[in-house]
Amino acid sequence: MKALRHSAFLIFSINVFLLLLSFIPILFCSPETAEAKIYIDITAPAFKRFPIAIEDLSGPHQGQEIASIIRDDLDFTGFFQNLDTNAFIEGPDAPFDPKNWIGFGVEAVLKGKVTINSEIVVETTLYDPVENKTILKGNYRARPEFLRAVAHSISNDIYKAITGEDGIFRSKIACVIVGKGTKDIYIMDWDGGNLRRVTAGSLDLSPRWSPDGKHIAYSSLSGESWRIYLLNIDTLKMRQLFSSHGMCLAGDFSPDGRQIAFASSKNGSPGIFIMDTSGSDVRRLTSHRGIDVSPTFSPDGSKIAFVSDRGGSPQIYIMDADGKDIRRLTFKGGYNTSPVWSPRGDKIAYVARIGSSFQIFLINPDGSGLTQLTTSGSNEDPSFSPDGRYITFSSYRDGSRGIYIMRANGDGQKMITRRGITAVSPRWSPMIR
Amino acid sequence: MKRFVVLVLLVFAFGCAKRTATTVPQGMETQPQQKVSEGAKSAGQPGGEHVSEQIAKETRTPTPMEEAKSIFSDIHFDFDRYNIKDDAKPVLEKIAGWLSKNRNVKVLIEGNCDERGTIEYNLALGEKRAKAAKDYLVSLGISPARIATISYGKEKPLCTEHNEECWAKNRRDHFVIQ
Repeated sequence: MKALRHSAFLIFSINVFLLLLSFIPILFCSPETAEAKIYIDITAPAFKRFPIAIEDLSGPHQGQEIASIIRDDLDFTGFFQNLDTNAFIEGPDAPFDPKNWIGFGVEAVLKGKVTINSEIVVETTLYDPVENKTILKGNYRARPEFLRAVAHSISNDIYKAITGEDGIFRSKIACVIVGKGTKDIYIMDWDGGNLRRVTAGSLDLSPRWSPDGKHIAYSSLSGESWRIYLLNIDTLKMRQLFSSHGMCLAGDFSPDGRQIAFASSKNGSPGIFIMDTSGSDVRRLTSHRGIDVSPTFSPDGSKIAFVSDRGGSPQIYIMDADGKDIRRLTFKGGYNTSPVWSPRGDKIAYVARIGSSFQIFLINPDGSGLTQLTTSGSNEDPSFSPDGRYITFSSYRDGSRGIYIMRANGDGQKMITRRGITAVSPRWSPMIR
Repeated sequence: MKRFVVLVLLVFAFGCAKRTATTVPQGMETQPQQKVSEGAKSAGQPGGEHVSEQIAKETRTPTPMEEAKSIFSDIHFDFDRYNIKDDAKPVLEKIAGWLSKNRNVKVLIEGNCDERGTIEYNLALGEKRAKAAKDYLVSLGISPARIATISYGKEKPLCTEHNEECWAKNRRDHFVIQ
């Protein structure tokens, strides 16, 4: 723990309203002060987990559910240590008394209450028992069905107050769920909650988020052609952007949201193309006799990584965003696919075939720093969280293929889809607040 | 509120969704035999109206479509490869011969992969397999305008067991006459 406690003490008052104007509830936050005290520096190479106590919120049983979601959120980050609820001396209804917490080494305590009528109203206070002060006050309102969103918003506010960084707890993961002869795109919360279907094609693949988090581009088999659609996830209206015989697959939005890189066999072998998000101005970026597929933009938009078999086996290559200066990135192994650039630009995650299984690796864009992240089962389709700290992927383990999340160093691997659901191709959304 | 109804409906639709089964009705199985007797009649086989189906079968010339059934068989590929193997070449040559005799027919080549490998790369690989067969047929004189390709990647396996025998069956081009 960094000795940061001497810094000026601040109180946040955050009023949050979850509106129903959109499929994803919108938040309005109005913190009264912009300056923050940082309790833990999560950018430091070594830190101790921050000990925190999340009390069940008083009121109806939803208070326990909300507290449980917050504990899970904070625990997964690897930055927080939840005090075991069995050790709590102070009940949810009792007023905060620092003496009840200091003995456990707890450095922050969340208390609050829930009332439910036509709306769910949550008031929370995050206390500092060491200095016997209030760190943060929150006030949240939403329709009762957005209970999980309320809980994730509280987690975001706690995370921001303690670490100074934006939390990813309101972000979503899109994935493909396999039915009987069908594949459809679904969206869920980052922890697997609120799973809902957003397409009803026969075979829908490869969901890709727009940088504003409002659209998903995906690929769909329609009769004897493949099509790329753009789906508005609020209205669920979709628009066809591209169609071709053979194959075409949505690749990645450019970081400015204006273009989509994709793979298509239009005019020959599968190659990398780019078009604007209305489906016009289609240009071919790569051309050779073999396969080029799975383009992913660097976060500054200047480069594209992709898969090519131009060297005799599928390997990751990097080129300039205009298709020039192609160079090979991976040399180890005979099957490396599914590259995805980290939001900070310092890593590329990809899938490598190791013996008879597939595993997720990280590599620096200059070819150094090769690191294997997974070893258990067979793992595919990596995608970074918007802060770059976590990776979602699909895994076949224990006889079932589902969606997992892990920290970007491979720790904390956790299945987020239910057993019995076959899910693949997860993609983490941009930051949603 | 309206969107909420949509959400609820979607959840409901997912919960209760029943997929239409794609099994062939039993009656379909007798269809080819009927075609055989019709073909025999139209080809002017002896015996007139009263000829039995059995006799028609033995003496008539097969129709082009019947012939196609034995000619358009799947061709297979090695793992992660899309080159036409030697054992596939005679198949493609027979197909090219048939297509050159039946010039009003178009063909769709469906490229497929086994379950190993990533979804996107396999979709590209399936397309290369379909294109490889198309290129071979074009090299034998068939117009490229008569041949369309589609890749199903590993999305539509013929065989669903997880062993080499099954994988080998799935690494295939399938031909559909249109």
